[in-house]
Amino acid sequence: MSDVVIIGAGIHPFGRFDKSAEEIGSFAARAALQDAGVAWADVQASYLSRMYLPATSGARILRRLGGTDMPIVDVEAACASGGAALHQALLAIRSGECEVVMVLGAEKMPRGFMDPRMIYADWQIEMGMSLNPAYWSMRAMRHMYEFGTTELQIAKIAHKNHNNSVHNPNAMYQKAFSLEEILNSPLVCDPIRRLEICAPDDGAAAVVVASADFARRIGARKPIRIAACVHTIARYSADFRCPADSMSATAHNDGPTEVTAAKAYERAGLGASDVNCFEVQDTDAFCELEIYEELQLCPLGEGGRLIDEGVTEIGGKHPVNMSGGLISKGEPVGASHLGQVVELVAQLRGEAGPRQVEGAKVGLGHVLGAGGNCAVTILQR
Amino acid sequence: MSGRRPVRDGLLVGNLETGEAVGLAGARCRACGEATLGRNLLCPNCGSEDVEPLALSAKGKVWTYTVVRYPPPGDYKGADPFRPFALGLVELPDGLRVLAPLACAPEEVRIGMDVVFQPRVRPDGVVQFEYALASEGTAQ
Ligand SMILES: [Zn+2]
Repeated sequence: MSDVVIIGAGIHPFGRFDKSAEEIGSFAARAALQDAGVAWADVQASYLSRMYLPATSGARILRRLGGTDMPIVDVEAACASGGAALHQALLAIRSGECEVVMVLGAEKMPRGFMDPRMIYADWQIEMGMSLNPAYWSMRAMRHMYEFGTTELQIAKIAHKNHNNSVHNPNAMYQKAFSLEEILNSPLVCDPIRRLEICAPDDGAAAVVVASADFARRIGARKPIRIAACVHTIARYSADFRCPADSMSATAHNDGPTEVTAAKAYERAGLGASDVNCFEVQDTDAFCELEIYEELQLCPLGEGGRLIDEGVTEIGGKHPVNMSGGLISKGEPVGASHLGQVVELVAQLRGEAGPRQVEGAKVGLGHVLGAGGNCAVTILQR
Repeated sequence: MSGRRPVRDGLLVGNLETGEAVGLAGARCRACGEATLGRNLLCPNCGSEDVEPLALSAKGKVWTYTVVRYPPPGDYKGADPFRPFALGLVELPDGLRVLAPLACAPEEVRIGMDVVFQPRVRPDGVVQFEYALASEGTAQ
């Protein structure tokens, strides 16, 4: 099977803007085309990853780049939408139908908590079970009970990501906070605090994906190989996450991150220890701690030790969320995974500036959200 | 005409008017044995149609919980003005865990504590449910 590579990447900053989805989306797409050195007319298909934008947003946004009759398809899989869209591009190229595909993630979101009717039933909303952080927090409480994970360890993860964000001009918040400030920020849902969760916002990120043959023909600058791109949904009762109203106490299936990562590692022929840098779903700081374990960076229950030992800081053995993560970038749902991919491309090209992980050759992006939708993309230079 | 109705069809059993024997409806799959919340015609684990109704136990234990400190978005029907409340995932002996508000002071809640089902009738006649701390009187 011939390789599929990323030949261009572009991003519109994540944050809150008085701009339309068309403006921020087309900005990121044009930046990706310019980076690739490819004309819009050379692109044969496009996928838009989005959750909250209205129907046919892909066509509305990308028409701005010039007249076209290519297929433009909107893809949605909650927080994993970007992985699902990138996977479609991979299939289109591997099938031989296309040589060059645009994958754009774009979102414009209201401030504050997300509209619960998108995912919850009326009775769940009426009974007070429609606050997404409540689900993350219950996982954290159980982990603290079973493994002795502490509030300080959770705060250290937020501290690391906020610190990293200072060097990312595309993050919504580019501000470092002390551990005291984080631990003194108000509780949202115990034990998770205001400075430990991500906020919904606006943003766009795009990549131009091509066959390795095409990349060679045009002399693409620093193509990055997609070693694996896997999207799954959680197995039966494997993931207590919104909008679940109950879970099995007897079924013991591996969680969505474990399953998706295992498939991605296998397809890439790589293991966790081969990966030099990670961008993962830190919807809240605890979630990142749990993901360390599920991505096999450490055994179950030892995520807290990893942050204590600095393993996941830039300069550590396995840096995680060099970009500042969703905690500082915000989560424009449809754009979040493509934002991770853009960061990893910069890292693997050695162009990440003060966030650079020295000598990074392999990077992994991970997203996880409603319905147990999970995606893992492994990139390699 | 009486106004009492369940917060969701198929979620509660018993007499909602008198409150007698009100509890959670469940279902058990005869093929794989999984118990699930609410009336269910298909097993979400194995897909079997061989599913029988089950009245879920009233008693359970807090498996995990949180305290909701901000008003949940949407048409929340809890205390007005909003008061922080505990939300628990309660493990039942039937083999499943159910998410519900806990009717006690948030600071009283601990993982592993015994709780018991109780219906809550709202002013609009809708019957929802919660779990209360089991005391000598309720946990028989
Ligand atoms: Zn079954």
